[in-house]
Amino acid sequence: MRTLRALAAAIPVAVLLAACGGDDTTGGGEGEVVELRYAFWGSDDRAQMTQDMIDKFEADNPDIRVEIDYADFGAYFDKLATSVAAGDAPDIMTMGGAYHSEYAGRGALLDLGEVDDVLRTDDIAEDILAHGTIDGSLYAIPTGVNGYAMVANPAVFAAAGLELPDDTSWTWDDFAQLCTQIGAALGDTGYGSQDLTNHNTLALWARQHGEQLYTEDGELGVSADTLTEWWDFSLQLRDSGCTPPATRTEELASQSAPEQTLIGTNTGGMALVWSNVLEALSTASGEQLQLLIPPGVDGGEPGSWLGPSMYYTISARTEHPEEAARLVDYMLNEPAAAESFLTDRGLPVNSEVREAIVPQLSPVQQAEAEYLDRLQEVVGEPVPPAPVGSTETAGIVTRLNSEVLFDRMTPQDAAEQAVAEIGTALDR
Amino acid sequence: MTTVPTFSRGRAPGEPPPQAAVGPPEPRRNRRSPLAKREGRVAYLFLAPWFIGMVVITIGPILGSLYLSFTEYSLLQPPEWLGLENYRRMLDDERLHTALRVTFTYVFVSVPLQLALALALAFFLDRGVRGLALYRSIYYLPSLLGGSVAIAILWRQIFGTEGLINQLLGMVGIEGEGWVSHPDHALSTLIVLNVWTFGAPMVIFLAGLRQIPTMYYEAAEVDGAGGFTRFWRITIPLLTPIIFFNLVLQIIGSFQTFTQAFIVSGGTGGPADSTLFYTLYTYQRGFGSFEMGYASALAWVLLVIIAGFTAINFLAAKRWVHYGD
Repeated sequence: MRTLRALAAAIPVAVLLAACGGDDTTGGGEGEVVELRYAFWGSDDRAQMTQDMIDKFEADNPDIRVEIDYADFGAYFDKLATSVAAGDAPDIMTMGGAYHSEYAGRGALLDLGEVDDVLRTDDIAEDILAHGTIDGSLYAIPTGVNGYAMVANPAVFAAAGLELPDDTSWTWDDFAQLCTQIGAALGDTGYGSQDLTNHNTLALWARQHGEQLYTEDGELGVSADTLTEWWDFSLQLRDSGCTPPATRTEELASQSAPEQTLIGTNTGGMALVWSNVLEALSTASGEQLQLLIPPGVDGGEPGSWLGPSMYYTISARTEHPEEAARLVDYMLNEPAAAESFLTDRGLPVNSEVREAIVPQLSPVQQAEAEYLDRLQEVVGEPVPPAPVGSTETAGIVTRLNSEVLFDRMTPQDAAEQAVAEIGTALDR
Repeated sequence: MTTVPTFSRGRAPGEPPPQAAVGPPEPRRNRRSPLAKREGRVAYLFLAPWFIGMVVITIGPILGSLYLSFTEYSLLQPPEWLGLENYRRMLDDERLHTALRVTFTYVFVSVPLQLALALALAFFLDRGVRGLALYRSIYYLPSLLGGSVAIAILWRQIFGTEGLINQLLGMVGIEGEGWVSHPDHALSTLIVLNVWTFGAPMVIFLAGLRQIPTMYYEAAEVDGAGGFTRFWRITIPLLTPIIFFNLVLQIIGSFQTFTQAFIVSGGTGGPADSTLFYTLYTYQRGFGSFEMGYASALAWVLLVIIAGFTAINFLAAKRWVHYGD
């Protein structure tokens, strides 16, 4: 009933707000001024950077006014779904994970091919654009590049009397050994690593085993055997004192703020993260954190890939596709825009823009850029775009991981259930 | 609702009373005077804002969701008619079955505990404790706060691995695990949270206890009845309407629990679905997976469940609730 009431309240309010917003176009003294709404998630800091960028954009484009509309990550997609359903979609929407596939698959996004005379993509690599291409049409353009990384805390390694590993050749066995040594050396004061299981890690593991999480056709591409193997390994890490006990892992999983992670509190040696969180984690821990290429399988592929951090999309129902495309083009291709963001939305995808901002990066941001350069050398085939229904995978994996870590399910059962549940979500 | 009869009995200033001015009001006459008719119209006028709000904001969307419950509706595309498919799907939906189990456990454990605690405290406060008003306010406070986000966050901290509870246990040498993060204990912490908000039923019980004439107790004492007998034979029977009222309200409220579970589990219903309340699951399907049609069907089933329990309550009430008249 509360959900019903929330819905009942939200929809009329959204309609009302739309009505109060007035016309999108207001007659100006010299020609029409077009108003655009740009939605994204993030902190007040990000909003500040964005407003800074918008001010520059508006100075260059006096015929466009941009209103920003932001919420924190947890609330963002609920808010977005409701406003899109109410016919009040923002003109430009930031997407993440597989949400752009969900929205594009349901006809809510503009085919960016329709505005390619305004929106330039020449300086963006093909495999990056592929992430935003669904059924042959470009619907979403990555805001920046990210790489999955093993972040290591040198202070914790030093406290355990260990050296950082050589990340060009290490394997999961090397990782387990190192991690257990840290766990043993720290005793009650810390752990070798935070629990590693999530859908990104499974994607990496699958690629290292010659499979992939999702196939080109949007089907599940990982076998129950491969998943069983992962969860067996994960239990081994838990039992050897490398990763924390299940209750602690559960707590850490529900508190994602950098200040609450093991790395951020200097009580863990390693964790698997996206490279663009390096700065936040470094600030939280106060240490010079290092990004390592994730461990591999003996004699197997490294499995890594360069992934998009977020996407810019345009609503299919916008009244001003051309103006919206001009804003997206500005954010992607203008060095002035990137100077406002730096690496906050990932390392810029436009190679020229990237070079323009490198001198302005902080030492931590430069370390992040260097990591991505190193990772670039070992990446395999690009990852196919995440299919419709795949936004559910993260939740399914987290839940089954709890079942395994609390010994309520065997790795085998959890793996089979994961295959069944993810498969159902993709088919629906 | 008590304001309505008061209003219809009121008169415009300066006008003579329509009925006998002295003595108790006469039984209502069938034929209504022009004045009463006019007052009736005025009453409807004053009711109109509420009524319009009720239709537009509550009843309209509820009926809308009934239609949506027979469709597939992704929020982004127009709904597509599915017939009974959403309802059929519930039979095979294992997470829904988990959600039902969690919600029923919560309701059947926390409501009796909460009412028992509320009654016990009301009973002792009623025995002339000095500073009653203060105690009443203090005990009532959790009811106002219990459903809030802030308290849910506080709860997660208190029952965390390094939370208050484990620090207290540590003092007596017991090493506790994280309570909210263990699938065997997470639901219990939410039950404790619900029991802790006993203040609202307690205040109603207090008012009920005040209504019981002292002469019954005096008479029983003269007859030699002890404290327990007086409580069991006088207090409880005379309080049954209040108990019934609290029971119905708390059952309805507990079935709808959402905020606490959402915050404590970070919206997942975890660990391992141990706090997957029915409403939380409905929310996940609707807003997390764009299955608003299925979520609407779930909401309707919850409505039917709550209506069913309320109906059972009212039927059973004939057997155990004693009204004074």
